[in-house]
Amino acid sequence: MRRPIRIQNLGGAQAVILHRPHPTVQALTRQLAAIGLRVAQVWPELGAEALGADFVFFDADMGHDEQFPWSPGESPMPMIALIGSEAPGRIEWALRAGAHAQLLKPVGDNGGYSALLIARDAFDAQRALSVEIAGLRRRLDERQTVVRAVAALAAKGKTEAEAYAQLRQMAMAWRVTFEDAAARVVAGLDGGPDERQNRG
Amino acid sequence: MKRRIELGLLYSRSGSYTLIAEACRSGALSAIAQVNADPALDISFVPVERDPGGNVDLYGPLCEEILRDTSARHVIGCVTSWSRKEVIPVLEKLGGTLWYTVPYEGFEASDHVVYTHACPNQHLLPLLDWVMPAHGRRTYLTGSNYIWGWEMNRLAREVVTQAGGEVLGERYLPIGSREVGRMIDEIRFARPDFIVNSLIGPSSYEFLAAYRALGREDAHFTAQNCPVLSCNLTECEFPALGQAAEGLVAAGPYFRGAQDWPGGNFGSSHEAAAFAAVRELARLLHGREGIENAGLPSLLSGAASVVDEKTHHTRLPVLIAQVRGGAFQVVRAQSAVAGDPYLTRGRVAPAPSLRVVS
Repeated sequence: MRRPIRIQNLGGAQAVILHRPHPTVQALTRQLAAIGLRVAQVWPELGAEALGADFVFFDADMGHDEQFPWSPGESPMPMIALIGSEAPGRIEWALRAGAHAQLLKPVGDNGGYSALLIARDAFDAQRALSVEIAGLRRRLDERQTVVRAVAALAAKGKTEAEAYAQLRQMAMAWRVTFEDAAARVVAGLDGGPDERQNRG
Repeated sequence: MKRRIELGLLYSRSGSYTLIAEACRSGALSAIAQVNADPALDISFVPVERDPGGNVDLYGPLCEEILRDTSARHVIGCVTSWSRKEVIPVLEKLGGTLWYTVPYEGFEASDHVVYTHACPNQHLLPLLDWVMPAHGRRTYLTGSNYIWGWEMNRLAREVVTQAGGEVLGERYLPIGSREVGRMIDEIRFARPDFIVNSLIGPSSYEFLAAYRALGREDAHFTAQNCPVLSCNLTECEFPALGQAAEGLVAAGPYFRGAQDWPGGNFGSSHEAAAFAAVRELARLLHGREGIENAGLPSLLSGAASVVDEKTHHTRLPVLIAQVRGGAFQVVRAQSAVAGDPYLTRGRVAPAPSLRVVS
């Protein structure tokens, strides 16, 4: 189930528009100011100060990777593409650059508010997924450690299921993840610090 | 010598919300008469009227007719949000400005619309601030099945839930429907502390009548115990409501008899807001020949208007009033608050009451 979108916290948020001076920038600035955002226009590239922005609108027609102080697709805030020419190559570039939403040019009287909400929702969802994936990947990488730890505990005369349960209990007692507990058990085997020193 | 300026009027004189449209129209016409008779103003208005007859599909074409076939660039009109949204693309295309004089659900700030009645920080939020401490935080939400009902109830749900309250039910009726039985049944079982009524027209009239009947069976369902709240109901709909209006609590910038509205006495806030719109337009046009053909940004630029240059919303008093003996009596009055259509400008705690009549 999707969570309700956040409509709060737009007041006073900083938007940066990466676009050459143009009526589209004026129209978009008016819309964003009416919504309650602070707006800055920059061209031809985002400076370091853009890292403090809450939203970045960028020109998809004349844009290129070097305009951004981060790697493609790794913006630390939601990004909205300003698309004039709907050519597949430009759309592909805008997507690779990390567009979370788009707004078609010429920008007129509306569209800004939905672009803000959709971009932020997509950004939040993407970030939550990245965190989850990183966690899962780490756990996958630790499979071998877990197997070694369970085997080591089982070697002291327990069944595999008992060893597994014991490792889970250790993790709970130490307040660490299952994988971290396994790493400690294995470190003890390998002549690392005594596991008792790790009790917290 | 006065400049004669054509001014569009786009109100439905038949259909399900005519009482509101007529109230707005009469406020606009009385302001036009006053402007035309005012020797201190160098302009006079010539009304150009079109009647969509309550048919939402006629608003766009008729607005286009006004802007294309006459010299009018400003149009006073529209009652439902639905019709306003139909008109905006036409205004953009032909460079017109709509003065919209009824309460609405917010989340809009068109460069071609002036919003002269209340938006949620001027009606729904103060109303909830008033009702929850006094009556409790368990509510039932009703609404007409279009953007006004949906958005008002979404916001009410958010505010009530954040305050630790509970939404016991939420139900919608198609515009014009009188099938209120199921709502009334649900309310009877849910026994909320208050009801938010975002129904419009005949649905609202039928609902209030049925709720009054329910109150005769069970004293919980009376204004003392479980009031019905409304953000768009004014005196102009009393003729359709009769006794069913008794006890209803509404928020608005003006109620009949309020003293501080410029321009005298009005039958309702709909009338007062339309009057104020025309008067403000006249003030902005006075002494600036040719400005009548310019867009809204130029008209407002440096003009120190009551209309905010960024949002095109107006600063309005916030009154909460209850129908007692056939008339609204103010139960809480807050000083004027700027319209905050996106609810991004923060809210100060309700200002101390200026005047309490109870």
